[in-house]
Amino acid sequence: MKRILQEACAAAGTAALSVLLAAGLSAPAWAGGHGRGGKGPPVLASETAGVTPFTGLTAHELTYSGMDGVTSGGVRIIDGDTARTVATVYSSQYANFAWAPDGRTLYISETYWTLGNRGKREDVLSIYGGPTLRNEGEIALPGRLISDPKTHTFALSPDGHYAYNYSFQPAPAVTVIDLRTRKVLTSVEVPGCGLVFPFGTRGFASLCADGSMAVADVNAQGKYVVHRTKRFFDVLNDPVMDESVADEHSGLALFITYDGWVHPVALADRPRFEKPWSIEAAAGMSPATSHVGTITWRPGGQVPFAYERSRHRLFVLMHEGPPWSFEKPGTQIWVLDVRTHRLLHRWEVPEHAYLLAVTQDAHPLLFALSYRWLWIMNGISGAVRRATQIVEPGLVGVKGE
Amino acid sequence: MNRSDLDTWSERLTRRLAGRLSRRSALARLGALLVAAPAFPLLPVQRARAADAAAGTDFSRAAQTHDDTACNYWRYCGIDGNLCSCCGGSVHTCPPGSQPSPTSWIGSCINPDDSRAYLIAYRDCCGANECNKCSCLNTDHAMPIYRPQANNHIIWCFGTQSFEYHCSMAVLVGLAE
Repeated sequence: MKRILQEACAAAGTAALSVLLAAGLSAPAWAGGHGRGGKGPPVLASETAGVTPFTGLTAHELTYSGMDGVTSGGVRIIDGDTARTVATVYSSQYANFAWAPDGRTLYISETYWTLGNRGKREDVLSIYGGPTLRNEGEIALPGRLISDPKTHTFALSPDGHYAYNYSFQPAPAVTVIDLRTRKVLTSVEVPGCGLVFPFGTRGFASLCADGSMAVADVNAQGKYVVHRTKRFFDVLNDPVMDESVADEHSGLALFITYDGWVHPVALADRPRFEKPWSIEAAAGMSPATSHVGTITWRPGGQVPFAYERSRHRLFVLMHEGPPWSFEKPGTQIWVLDVRTHRLLHRWEVPEHAYLLAVTQDAHPLLFALSYRWLWIMNGISGAVRRATQIVEPGLVGVKGE
Repeated sequence: MNRSDLDTWSERLTRRLAGRLSRRSALARLGALLVAAPAFPLLPVQRARAADAAAGTDFSRAAQTHDDTACNYWRYCGIDGNLCSCCGGSVHTCPPGSQPSPTSWIGSCINPDDSRAYLIAYRDCCGANECNKCSCLNTDHAMPIYRPQANNHIIWCFGTQSFEYHCSMAVLVGLAE
């Protein structure tokens, strides 16, 4: 009982001290017992509550969004060098995000209802930035696609001047937003097509339901022209995946099919379609097929590809499975040279991974994510350097993609 | 399986119309609604052809017909989400507190008991918080999002008062033959 009484007194003293400090008053002499008479460590300095400064996304930081209503959204930043959380920005569920090229402004495409699950719907492009990554306002959008997160439903132009937001309500369109004036420039109708792959100054491509591509050229006044290309893949038997990769700086898109065929396309007003090549053939295997019962190595996952621009390396989550297993997680990461179509490495993933991202700097980190874990790997050797627990991830991004 | 000439012709016609008409066009609006309407026969029939009942799929070879709270229940060959059967509903009814969307995507699954392919409407129940039980991800004949009529990642809550996803049903539409 005595011990309990002493603890209660100590707690009361601490509470009184807290009140004094909160009121901005100096601590009383009795509070600094250890520092009296010049013996022991100095009295700890009083503190002021604030926000840790944010100086911009760094090359080794990973940004990822939450998966759905269970994870309740949020866009989170993790430092790949320490595996520590840097920041979290609020978002709705089923949001998408993109960083400005300088890594200081974060754009989030998201949807809210005035009464939570009902009421007036508001689709917005939310802007976060400044020294503490605060909300800087919103741009109202005419619509959005609400789906499980998909990388290519929202993107910026390579120079960060424009944002492109894919909408499906259910008529498909791409809204073009001028980020300098913070106004919607136009909505480009892309009937029969979906997703958005920006290239050049004001152009973008969308994939179409018949295996072709729609290419849009938008001028500064918002006038646009859309034309369709030839069909370049067999959409019914081996479609290219939503999460195919595109390097908007070079205009190179790598559209990758369920069976692991890579269709390189130089995105432009007149796209150049190059000869497809097989990921499995690059590893010395027979190309995968869609025949029932064929168990072989196949690409799969939620975001199963990452592309490193400077070294022309494609990272692919691979698993052994039957046809239609394109969302199974990868047990290995295959590293391929997209110029020579050669397999460079096969790296094991701890457990398995659904998402991949690779940093774009001289000392790359490779991020592999399961629904609960982030593994941070050396991007040259494949060695796992760190691991940390995460909430179920939806999308991933790094600086300079 | 190759598609019939009629399918090919009708798809070309539809795409030609879609490519020429603006969204504001009444015809285009009608087309957009029809894409999302499970009662419209053209697209389901086309989807059904993807399910070859004779060959089956890797999913159908391991599917069962007695437990609709398990991910390998035969109708769930293309389902992505929480099974309404685990959330207070059933394969064709929404749990109380949620409401069914009039829209869906259409898949085709093979019933191991009679080895026939059936059309399945994957309808979402909307308006209640996500059930988060019996989460399944099956992908037989699921197509990318740029082919939305066969995509299971879209939140199919069009036409309801809420886009809050709760769970998914697998409503039997009929034979896919």
